[in-house]
Amino acid sequence: MELWEAIKGRRSVRAFLDRPIERDLLERLLEAAIWAPSGGNAQTWRFVVIDDPIQIRRIKIVSPGLLGDPAAVIAVCQDLTRARAKGGELGETFLAPIDAAMASQNLLLAAYAEGLGTCTIASFHKKGVGRLLKLSEGVKPILLVSVGWPAEAPPVPPRHREGVFLFEDSNE
Amino acid sequence: MNRVKLEERVFELVGYMVTSGRNLLTETPLYGPFRLVDAASRLISILEEEGVESDRLQAMRTEIDAGKYSVMSDVEEFESFLDSLVDTLVDHADFEERR
Repeated sequence: MELWEAIKGRRSVRAFLDRPIERDLLERLLEAAIWAPSGGNAQTWRFVVIDDPIQIRRIKIVSPGLLGDPAAVIAVCQDLTRARAKGGELGETFLAPIDAAMASQNLLLAAYAEGLGTCTIASFHKKGVGRLLKLSEGVKPILLVSVGWPAEAPPVPPRHREGVFLFEDSNE
Repeated sequence: MNRVKLEERVFELVGYMVTSGRNLLTETPLYGPFRLVDAASRLISILEEEGVESDRLQAMRTEIDAGKYSVMSDVEEFESFLDSLVDTLVDHADFEERR
């Protein structure tokens, strides 16, 4: 798939078919994620894949933004203890969440190229999800990504351009 | 639906509402009305599986599910959608003893 097709074609999908996703396909998505840029090359991200339907239901109880019934949910986490050790306060509070976001975008585009639908979710209770996933001390969930075979084709949302693109001319 | 399954579905809805309540302290305020009407839709689905169903409840759920995601794209459209939901409520606001 052409990169531009993936960038412009990806949508946030919230309705999924009742069809599982093979583990090797999920691993390919994670491979795409870890090729994202990482501030200071810290790579302190952690990815937890949940593809057991019962565990997904448990996660949904404390994740109001997780809509529909995806075949898998990927918790994009950060080891904030290691992020601080590698990058100080900047690493923990700024670079770590940005890295998680960039890794998520790679994952979304790779999923779209495989015919999968995804949605990035920030509306979840961080501590609650951390407890349910039994995350290690210092490892915090930053985003959830729902993944599944799409049962809908969401409309194209308008893109705002006015005042968004600025070319600075240093001669004026 | 057996009692265990019903209890689980209600527990999931309670989780959705309680966690929404907590998260809405810091989330965009627009998510508040979205979560409320989405919870209403979920409640109607649970009741329907329990055998409690009616044309007006089904109409409400259909309308909610068709318009709720406008919150993501167009605030004015979302506001009109909520007004329309209230209109639908008024259209059906009657009780058996008056019918």
